[in-house]
Amino acid sequence: MSARILIGKPGLDGHDRGAKYVARILRDAGFEIIYTGIRRTPEELVAAAIQEDVDAIGISLLSGAHNSLVDRVIRLLKEQEAGEIVVFVGGIIPDADVPGLKALGVAEVFGPGTPAQTIVETLNGHLARARANAS
Amino acid sequence: MTSLADLLAQARGSGPRATRAAGRLMTLLENEPGRLPELLQAAGPDAPQPRLLLGLTGAPGSGKSTLTDAILGVYRKQRPEMKIGVIAVDPSSPFSGGAVLGDRVRMMRHATDPYVYVRSLASRGHLGGLALGVKGILRVMGLLGIEVVLIETVGVGQSEIEIVRFADEILVILAPGQGDSVQLLKAGLMEIGNFIVINKADNPGAEELHHQILAAMKLEPEGRQRHVALVSAVEQKHVDELVDAVEAAASGKEAERLARRAASQVQELREALLESARTRLLQAMEQEDHARDIAALGSLAQDFEPLVRRLLADAARP
Repeated sequence: MSARILIGKPGLDGHDRGAKYVARILRDAGFEIIYTGIRRTPEELVAAAIQEDVDAIGISLLSGAHNSLVDRVIRLLKEQEAGEIVVFVGGIIPDADVPGLKALGVAEVFGPGTPAQTIVETLNGHLARARANAS
Repeated sequence: MTSLADLLAQARGSGPRATRAAGRLMTLLENEPGRLPELLQAAGPDAPQPRLLLGLTGAPGSGKSTLTDAILGVYRKQRPEMKIGVIAVDPSSPFSGGAVLGDRVRMMRHATDPYVYVRSLASRGHLGGLALGVKGILRVMGLLGIEVVLIETVGVGQSEIEIVRFADEILVILAPGQGDSVQLLKAGLMEIGNFIVINKADNPGAEELHHQILAAMKLEPEGRQRHVALVSAVEQKHVDELVDAVEAAASGKEAERLARRAASQVQELREALLESARTRLLQAMEQEDHARDIAALGSLAQDFEPLVRRLLADAARP
């Protein structure tokens, strides 16, 4: 079955080019993408992810507010009994912040220029591991 | 793996665990539509079903999602205690099998509203404007106490009218700039809606389209009453009147609705049986000896009818 992935942009930056690019390449890799657009709150993204029962959430951020927004998304997911949903992040994320995001529970951070194939393969690996844990 | 019955029991509870279980139950039925009978049996004969199924259909870009959002807004204001669901279908790629489900973008202002449940579906190769998972998701929404469900089809052309089978009231949504009045004479899509909604009243050409539709309605046979509405979903203008008209049309048709639900349940059960038979038959066809016989059909070295019987017998084995 096609895995379902929610793509969203929390916070105030309106640059959705990257989010749309990732939605497109994941569509072409056979995923079902729920696209939620710009300027969302973490609460909106998490509520949508649970109703849609997605396997992963892709968060695109260029605003610099990634540490607090991603932390909030992951905390809400755990509160809502949905901690097993894979979270990945893309956008402008300083290298120094990557270990911190991963410590929060982010599966992967994809910076600008990441080849499409890398994103698809990495994501497939995380989804396979999540499925193995669930069964 | 959690069983269907366990998920159902959890979904009927309360709190985050119930919400989570409901979503997962929908996924299960979307992926395995043949398990609908199992859900019906587990839910019991008195399981609640939605009161009103409202279908929204129309060409891509005519404003179905925006109108769905506007209707959600009106219902939430008029009936704050009523739970409302949305099933929004978008097409799957015939090449990759993937999909971008973008209807929800227009409805995100309702995302954290506990009275609104939105579920996006990919058509997964199913023709007709909907997806196989719709019926299972409708059932789960009923179990959650959802009273009204808005079913938004994929952007349709002229003949994807499967929505007729599901919905109690159907809104065909048109927008200006989609062709002249000959389009209105054509069979198919234009025949099905008991509501013709001209959207984008804020755009040029909407008034003219409205007049053309009203004129075309004069050609309708006696007794076929269709409502024509001119709205602007994006400006949320005249959508409240549209909802009132839909509710007025739906009221007093309880018996008709129950009959349709019963008939469609039989049809759904038949489809579930067919799906299960099909899966088993496909398995039988993949067996080596049968695969060889199937290939031999083309050369007359194999008789058709006896092969059919052998396949059916194999498929019937537990």
